[in-house]
Amino acid sequence: MVKRLLAASALALGLSAFAQTQIEFWTYYLSPNFDNYIKSTIADFEKENPTIKVRWVDKQDTMERDLTAAVALGRAPDVVNLWQDSTFAAAQNKILTPITQLVNRNVLNQLYYPNVLDMFVTEGQVYGLPWYGWLDQGVMMYNPDLLQKAGVDVRTIRNTDDLLAASARIKQATGAYGWLPPVKDPNGASFLGRFFLEGLPIYDKDGKAAFNSPAHVALLQKYVDAMKNDVIPQELLRKEAFQLSNELYSQGKAAIVVGAPTTLNRVKEANPDLYAKTRIVPAPLGKAGIQTGGAMSLVIPSASKNKSAAIRFALFVTNRTNQVKFANVVPIVSTAAGSENDPGLKAKSNDPLEIGKGMNSASGRLINPGFKPPKNTDDVYKNFNDNIEAAFLGRKTAKQALDDAVAFWNANAK
Amino acid sequence: MSPQTQEAARLRARAALRKGLGTALSYALMLLILAFAIFPFLWTLAISITDKQASGISIYDFPRSLFPPAVTLGNFFEVITKLNLGKYFLNSVIITALTVVGTLVVSALAAYPLARLQFPGRALIFGAIVSTLVLPTEIAFIVNVLTLRDLGLLGTYAGVVLPIIATAFGIFLMRQAYLAIPGTLMEAARIDGATELQILWRVMIPLSVPSLTALGIFTLVGTWNAFFWPSVALLTNDDLLPMSVAILKLKGQFNYDVFNVAAGAMIMMIPVLVVFFMAQRFFMRGMEGAVKG
Amino acid sequence: MKQQAFTTTLIAYAFLAPALVLMGLFTFYPVIYGSYLGFTDYTVADLATGEGPKWVGLKNIQFVLGDPLFQTGILNSLKYLLVVPILQIASLAVAVLVNQKLPFMALFRVGYYIPVVTSISLAAVMWEWIFQKEGFLNWSLQLLNVLNSEGRFNWLLNENTALWAIMLVTFWRGFGYYMVLYLAGLQSIPAELEEAATLDGASAWQRFWLIIVPLMRPTLLLCSLLSTIAAIRVLEEIIVFTGGSGGPLNSTYTALLYVYNKSWGNMLNANFGVAGAAGLLIALVGFALSYVNFRLTREERSER
Repeated sequence: MVKRLLAASALALGLSAFAQTQIEFWTYYLSPNFDNYIKSTIADFEKENPTIKVRWVDKQDTMERDLTAAVALGRAPDVVNLWQDSTFAAAQNKILTPITQLVNRNVLNQLYYPNVLDMFVTEGQVYGLPWYGWLDQGVMMYNPDLLQKAGVDVRTIRNTDDLLAASARIKQATGAYGWLPPVKDPNGASFLGRFFLEGLPIYDKDGKAAFNSPAHVALLQKYVDAMKNDVIPQELLRKEAFQLSNELYSQGKAAIVVGAPTTLNRVKEANPDLYAKTRIVPAPLGKAGIQTGGAMSLVIPSASKNKSAAIRFALFVTNRTNQVKFANVVPIVSTAAGSENDPGLKAKSNDPLEIGKGMNSASGRLINPGFKPPKNTDDVYKNFNDNIEAAFLGRKTAKQALDDAVAFWNANAK
Repeated sequence: MSPQTQEAARLRARAALRKGLGTALSYALMLLILAFAIFPFLWTLAISITDKQASGISIYDFPRSLFPPAVTLGNFFEVITKLNLGKYFLNSVIITALTVVGTLVVSALAAYPLARLQFPGRALIFGAIVSTLVLPTEIAFIVNVLTLRDLGLLGTYAGVVLPIIATAFGIFLMRQAYLAIPGTLMEAARIDGATELQILWRVMIPLSVPSLTALGIFTLVGTWNAFFWPSVALLTNDDLLPMSVAILKLKGQFNYDVFNVAAGAMIMMIPVLVVFFMAQRFFMRGMEGAVKG
Repeated sequence: MKQQAFTTTLIAYAFLAPALVLMGLFTFYPVIYGSYLGFTDYTVADLATGEGPKWVGLKNIQFVLGDPLFQTGILNSLKYLLVVPILQIASLAVAVLVNQKLPFMALFRVGYYIPVVTSISLAAVMWEWIFQKEGFLNWSLQLLNVLNSEGRFNWLLNENTALWAIMLVTFWRGFGYYMVLYLAGLQSIPAELEEAATLDGASAWQRFWLIIVPLMRPTLLLCSLLSTIAAIRVLEEIIVFTGGSGGPLNSTYTALLYVYNKSWGNMLNANFGVAGAAGLLIALVGFALSYVNFRLTREERSER
């Protein structure tokens, strides 16, 4: 009996020694603010999976570079926190293992919102598990004092046209800007996003660029005029709109911020009085009535040596329980299916951040991934943005700018 | 008093006045330049000691943000504990010290033959070294990190330090310093029977202390603030990361607290400035006694 | 005598050994490999799948030379060279100022060095404020009656001024750096020479140009060479102020920005072949400029 016990325990020990796997998990800009959340999630996972140990490394700006270097060195991490563009780029350049090779697509469809899952699909394969997301339009946060001074009733702002009109009145009455729309953010092609949100098509039925119709030109002209009259600041050509509106809002130089409620954290730090005064309502949308947004993903490099442990961990981190927990730490949008009914996402108080969470975090199913990006986005987007800038600076007419952009796009987006 | 002495006294007084005016002008000019140089630093300093709980204004509000209504050292404590800076500070000190010593040794040694010895291949070697200033080094970091792996130095202090201590800048600087020392001194030493090493140690180096100090300072500042190369070389061992990398965590979408960022920046800047302050008198050594050789 | 020449050569190479070994391994080898990549087709996808670089000869070089973005980059980098003479003369002048034996000089020296160690991204916040439409620069220009209130504009948003605005920041960052080098060099000018000149009635201006500048030849060569190369390869300030996209109408798109966007600035889409080719071409320009630098400072010396 004792001998058998000894043999059994020796076998178990031996097996567990063999089965002990160490995986490496890279996140993007989550330390030190979310140390507790990540560490406790890892602890929970390790408790349920005693043979897997997770080593956590947080990366900042150097994420893409370090990932490539690690692959080149043969020391690739096992689970990496990327985002849409980088997932796309990494998949295109053969750095990732398709998730659908490790998990059945049907299972994935049940675990996550399909619109978000679709964001990480290339050539029929899913390359990333959706993690925490955000809505670009999110909520509208405003400074009630400035709106009152301009005589603007927030209930009259129902869509983006109203936003522009209100901004003109606010600027005239108070000298502060109203809404700062993204027109030329450093990453991506913001004005294409604007077309999309107003229901104007980007491609024609043959898949060629078609954003130079009279309707498109008119829309661009509307914003060009707004900038010329200083209803929206020229700084939008140089800085990211969300960042700029945050900066100006904290100084009292902008009355409205439209976007993810996580920005309230920054307002809280920079100007606590203003934070306490800030009101929140759902964001007014464009004519298409949709909300664009994005999400982070967890990917598995093809050079990873522990793919089964990796996928287990990735599924755990992105499951609904853990995403809801995350949303209660900071108001991210949960991308796990069924979140819209999860009681953990209801607002529990009147604190602006709680309200933001309540309005936002359960709306993962509303994230519209936007239009499909072309190949060769670097050059094509740069040319598009250059043309948009030329229109805003008055160097080209709106029509000329869009015609040139379409011509370049069709010649180069292969 | 005789008219000559009176005249002399007046001339002396006028000369003194002119000298005084000249000095006053010097100071005025220097103060103006100082204002130009340090205004961002003053703003960063002001923000870093601002008590963010108390103030109701935004930090972008110039010039009000230069005069915080309430000051505190709390931001510094927050940064140090949040980022666990003690460990990274130590790493920075070790890496910087090793790099400074390494650079000084390699440069002081290599520059000597290039400045003062005749041997075949001298022009070629010097040309090659200077050419590294312009050569494209954009992807060198990937190649170097692979080399480190093959040498087994990845994730070690040595792996960070060795690739950066042999620089064209250092060698060039020391060569110029040696060239400024009169050849007669060397000849005299040789006639006395000194070996090349002794000449280097007893003649060249003591007389190039200002340049050595400059090189030391530059290397120190450069290494202290460098984050790109250390983070690549220590990819597999982030326990050895220097503070310059850890500080980057203060930015980012969720983390952006300008007060902490400013405090972090001050923590990075102040040690360097202290060292510079202590070292800058070594720039001022003169050549007393040397020319009379 | 041959024995002595041989011993000298041996000793010379012994002294050079550490530098040559380290540079050979960590500088020359990567550069040669990177340059070789300029003649190959090699992207991140090849790296990930383990495929090696494929030789394509001059294809990348031709592509880069014909790319209007690269041409703009080279042009802007050449414009940036204007900062070099201004920076060098100013740094030397400041070094002379703080070399005086007056009280508090140490404080001024440290103060002028502060921009060198100030984090550029924090300094950028203040500089952006200065360049704004209602910013300090326009305010001072209005005071001097150079500008009226309708003519005000944001210096970083105007394609004619953006590059010069950033050059001002480079100047601000650099004068303390070169001041240190010039200070070190000034120590080798005997004080007796300057005293003699002052007794002869030379003004400060004359002393500066007729005594100090000629005697600072070695340091001037070093500094102007470094400054020229830094100007051609400017990148950090550009990215901090106008990002990777190169400013209004690409007016701040510099040569190295092109390489940055094709390699480590956009790593998952990196094209090492094109980046290598561009890097090579920029190096060629750098070589040419260095040669000019050497000739300029050497010729003047022999004329004396």
